[in-house]
Order: sequence, then structure tokens, then C-alpha cells
Amino acid sequence: MKKLQPYLYLTPSFIVVICLILVPIAYALFISFIDLTQNVNKLSDSELWNFVGLENYVEILTGSVFWSTLARTLYITFVSVGLELLIGLSIALILNEQFVGRGFVRGIMLIPWAFPTIVNAVLWRWFYDPNHGMVNGVLAKMGFINEGEYINFLGSAFSALNAIIIADVWKNTAIVALLLLAALQSIPGSLYEAAQIDGASSWKRFVNITFPLLAPAILVTLVLRTMEAFKIFDLIYIMTGGGPAGGTQVMSFLTYQQTMMFGKYSYGAAIAFLMSLFVLLFAFLYIKLLYRDLE
Amino acid sequence: MKKIFSTLLLSSVLILSACQSGGSEGESSSSDGPVTLKVLSSDDFADFRTGVIDEFEKQNPDIKIDLESVAYDQLHDKEIAAFNSGSSGGYDVVDVDEIWTAEYAEGAFIRDVSDMLTDDMKSGILESGMNITKYNDKYYGLPMFNDVLFFYYNEDLLKQAGFDAPPATWDEFVEMSTVLQDQGLVDGNASNWGFSANEGLVCYFTQFLGSHGGQYMDEQGNIVFNNEQGQQALQFMVDMMGKHGVVDTSAVSANDRQILDSFKEGKTAFVSGWSFYWGELNSDDSPVKDKIKVALTPGANGTESSTATGSMYLGISQQSEHPEEAWKFIEFLASKDIQKQQSTEAGSLPIWSDLYTDADLTSSNPQFENMGKQLEYTLSRPSLVNYNEFSKTLQNELQAALIGDKSPKEALDAAAAKAEELKQQ
Repeated sequence: MKKLQPYLYLTPSFIVVICLILVPIAYALFISFIDLTQNVNKLSDSELWNFVGLENYVEILTGSVFWSTLARTLYITFVSVGLELLIGLSIALILNEQFVGRGFVRGIMLIPWAFPTIVNAVLWRWFYDPNHGMVNGVLAKMGFINEGEYINFLGSAFSALNAIIIADVWKNTAIVALLLLAALQSIPGSLYEAAQIDGASSWKRFVNITFPLLAPAILVTLVLRTMEAFKIFDLIYIMTGGGPAGGTQVMSFLTYQQTMMFGKYSYGAAIAFLMSLFVLLFAFLYIKLLYRDLE
Repeated sequence: MKKIFSTLLLSSVLILSACQSGGSEGESSSSDGPVTLKVLSSDDFADFRTGVIDEFEKQNPDIKIDLESVAYDQLHDKEIAAFNSGSSGGYDVVDVDEIWTAEYAEGAFIRDVSDMLTDDMKSGILESGMNITKYNDKYYGLPMFNDVLFFYYNEDLLKQAGFDAPPATWDEFVEMSTVLQDQGLVDGNASNWGFSANEGLVCYFTQFLGSHGGQYMDEQGNIVFNNEQGQQALQFMVDMMGKHGVVDTSAVSANDRQILDSFKEGKTAFVSGWSFYWGELNSDDSPVKDKIKVALTPGANGTESSTATGSMYLGISQQSEHPEEAWKFIEFLASKDIQKQQSTEAGSLPIWSDLYTDADLTSSNPQFENMGKQLEYTLSRPSLVNYNEFSKTLQNELQAALIGDKSPKEALDAAAAKAEELKQQ
């Protein structure tokens, strides 16, 4: 009885996890193996289930759309997470120093992150507007472009991708900085003192003390942000709708499009599963890389 | 510590059971009292519809209307999600665009209402209107208005530039736009169009395709929109922004709702859009109130005019538990009185043929005469069960041509190949 008790306490959360996570996942996996289009009501009639095995997966993996979408998604993921980590770490290091008004700056820094993504997306779409947008205005005032020769940032595939990355970095750098700052503050000052007495330069102190002790926090941040960036949807939906000419179509948008717009539920479920595999792969790689350094 | 855990466990069990009982209570009570109909409507006519709900509820005290409105671009996906969510999450009455009929009827998402149509409706409502609700000889709802892409122009600006009449051909359109721009009467380009990747782009392409003498399918049902006229139409769309420089290049990232703003502020001289534009343009806060006229869409290749149709209708979802009450509401909105009121207040074209000669309406809505003329020159988007997939492909291909990645011929050939493939399915 004593041994059973902890499990008993955990039962409610197990039930919640099973109902809300495991069952839907199994259900989606099932859908990805049948041929379900247009009408989900087919699901209530088992005679209409047409098992196609891995056909959906084969169709996806042999088509060109999936691979070009994956390449685009990976580009957004790596560039935006890379920039966020770089800028976020710099901000965290600066904010870890003592200076007047530090609390105020820390508060200000979080504002972009506090915006809902939808607001962020609409805001940036306005910023990029070729006629009334702030970005063009600033560039023109600074003399980089001529008045009237405004650039349509969302008008070509490559620039739209980068425009989306900037909007994403603007919002999410704050959370990266916040997580890293929290980790920085937990590093005992005595370590730095000891190193200083031993004559270590500030760069040496960063490489040998700050970075190793920060690694777990960096790992967590990287995993979190990579997964989120890989699943990027709202920014794209609002800012470009996947355009121009499908140039900003990313994985979650493709899933949404196939499922909700075209009614290809099985095909969409299969893409979603392939997406999860990639996310798992990222998590696995990061853990391998960073924990190895720690041991 | 033990106490805390057991309290937590107990409370979580309590919360779970409370949720369940709450749900079942809500369901059982709805069958007795007044029936609440959930209605999903597109934004464009939501204001008007909200306005007349009170009247309907007064006439039918046992029915309550819960109207929800979303932007047109989200409407289809929201409906598909609702249709598949089981009875509790669904809507009773849904707003359906003409191009979704095949998909919704084929998927059995909306109800066949052929038996509910009265003789009055069959003879009184314009045939073109009823046709949008028809699939395999069955009717799936009642049209709410007759809509096409109208060509609006700012008469004031044109007069200042010395033009007495709107452009009759696309060449004249380019000429006038250039003059308006050279004289600085417009802010930047003379017009803006909504060429971003959504349904509006397909409608605009349809307008250019039709007015250049092209069509989607010939009489034998062959796909022909990639022929010479189609290529000319798309080439013209490209040139308007590039070679001629009369259309704002931001068109590729604007939709058919966003371009209304600059026209409403008097910054552009032409805009092509739906009938609800009229109400917006003539609202009390509109800077261009009473300065706007409707002309026939210009033509080319000897075609006088043509434009895209885009009417919508209300249907009853399959999952509705109150189809009779839902039909009452649809009938009410389609009734002559409400249609007349809708035309006066929102400027939409009525569905009843005799309202076009109604003295009250023609005197209060002088634009009806010109709008009625445009109804004779239309081209519809192709009706395919997998319409959305075709549409998305066409949107991407059109955009590829508009931003210069592909030639019009390459783009249209690719879209035609997709249409061919979907037709086979």
C-alpha cells in the first residue's frame, strides 16, 4: 500500500496527460495511415476507413513541396535562433553588470516579448508597408534609399523570409536574454574573484567560468527556441499568408493549408508527424552536444 | 505534506466532475427554452445583419440569434473546422461563398433545402443568384446579394484631371492613370489592387481574364485559361505595376479589403471591389462621400467588359439541431423587405428581380443602374470539388508571375496542369 500511494497521487495528472496528449497523438497517427479527405464524419463509420499504410508519407517524401518547405523552415529556424542566442547572450551579459537604471532597462527589454505574436505580426506588417511603413521611412531619412523608391520587403520570397526572421528575433530575443540572465545571476561571484586573483583575463573568465556554467541554460533555451521557431505559424499567417508565390511557406503553414484549407486530413497529419520527428531530432542533437561538454 | 497532496487530489477530482456536470446541464436546458441559433457570417455584411436581428427576434420570440462574424479570409477554414467538430461546437447557419458549394455539398456539410423553397422564391429570385447555391440539381441555401467586382472611380479626381468619362478600355485606364499621377492629383500611384496570396487575387485575375476575352473552360470543359487571352491578361497585371507604373507595387502584399482605405481617403482614383465598398465609401465619415461613381470594368481585345462574380449565400449546416428555425432566419434575411433595407443601408444588389425596378430603391440608390449593367458582363471562377487546392496553386503561380519569377505563360501553364490533375480526381 505504501508503495502504491505515490502512484495514486499521480493518477489525476496521468489521466490528464493521457486524455489530452497521448490519445490525440494516437488518433492523429491513426488518421495519417488512412485515406481521409474532406469529411471527418467518415471517422464514425469504420467501413469507410481505407487503410493506405505509409502511402501518405511516401507521397510527402517524394514530392518537392515538402523538401523546399523544410529548407525554408530550417533557414528561418537556424538564422533566427542563432541571432536570438547571440543578441540575447550579449544583452544578458550587459544586464548582469552593475549600472544605474539596470532594473528599468531589464523591464523595458521584456516589452516586445510581452506582446501577443498576432500584435507583433500586424505591427511588423505595418513597419514593412512599402508606402507608409516605418522601415522605409527611416531608411529614406538616413539616405540609404531615395524618397519614393520604397522597397516592398514582403514583395519577394527571400526578403520576406528575412523580414519575418527580424520580426521573430525582435520578439523572442527578450526571453532568451531573460533565461540566460537568470542563469548568469546564479553563478557565484567567488569564482570570478578566485580567477581574478589567479590573473585570468576577462575573456578567459568568460570562456572558463561563465560559458560552462551557462551551458545548461543555453541548452534549455536552444531547445525551447528551436522547437518554437520550427513551428512558426502566426507571424507567417498574418504577415505574408505564405506568399509571395509560396516563398514563405513553412512546415506548420503547409500542415494547416493541407488540413484546413484543402481538407486533406490524412496528408496533413502525416506532415505533422514528420515535423515532430525533426523537432525530436533537434532536441536529441542538442542534448548530445551540450551534455557531452559538461561531463 | 500528506494532507496537502490528498487535498490536491480531492480538489482535482472535484473540478473534473464539476466540469462534466456543467457541460451536460447546459445541453439539456437548451432544448426547452428559446432556441439559440449560432450564425457565422462574413464581416462584410455583419453590421447590417446585427442590426436586423432585433426585428427577427421580435417576430420570433422563441428564437435567439447568436451571430459571430469573421474576416472573409478566415471564413472557409473556420467553417471546415466547425463542420468537423461535432454538434456542440458547430454553427446552425453558415455564410457560404459560391465557390465552396461543390466542396460543402460533396462533403455533406450543408443541408439540401430544395424542398423548402417556395414558388415565390423560385420565380422571384434572379436565376443567377439561385444558381450559386445549386449543386447536382439540388439547392443548398438562399443568396443574400448579387455581387461582382465593380469598378469604382473617383469622379472628382477625374474631372480635375480633365476627364469627363471613366476609362472604357484598359489602355485608357493606363493613360488616365498616368495623367493623374503626372498632375500629382493622386498620392503615388493612381490605383492599388489586392494581389496578395488569397482568394481576392483569383477574383482579380478572373476580372482581367474575362475583360481580355478569356475564360477558364470552354464549352467542352477543356481548361483554356492559359491560352493567349489568359497570358495577355496576366501580362497586363504585371505591366500595370512594372512597365506602366500605374499600380502600386505593394499590390502583391495587399488584399481586396486593404486597398479600400487609400481609395476612401482620396489617395487613389480607381479601385475594383465588391458591392459593400459602396456603403463604406458613402458612410458619413468617408472623405469621398458622394464623389464615387461605378463604371463598367474596362475591356481589351474588343471585349466590352467583364468581371468576376462573388456572391454569397446562407446555408444550414448538417450538424444543426434546429434546421427549421435556421431556415426561418435565412428566409427572413432573404425576404423582400429586408433585402430592400439591405440595399438602402448597405448598398448591396438585391436578389429579387422586381426590386431592380422598385421606385424607392432606384431613387435612393442611383448607382444601381450602373451596377445592374455590370451584372450582364461576368465570368465565374471554375466550380471544382477541390477548388481551394486549385485556387491556392493559381494564387502562387500568379504571384510568381507578378514578382517576376516566372513568365505569364509558364505560370499559367503550371496552374492549368494542376487544374487538369484535379479535374481527373
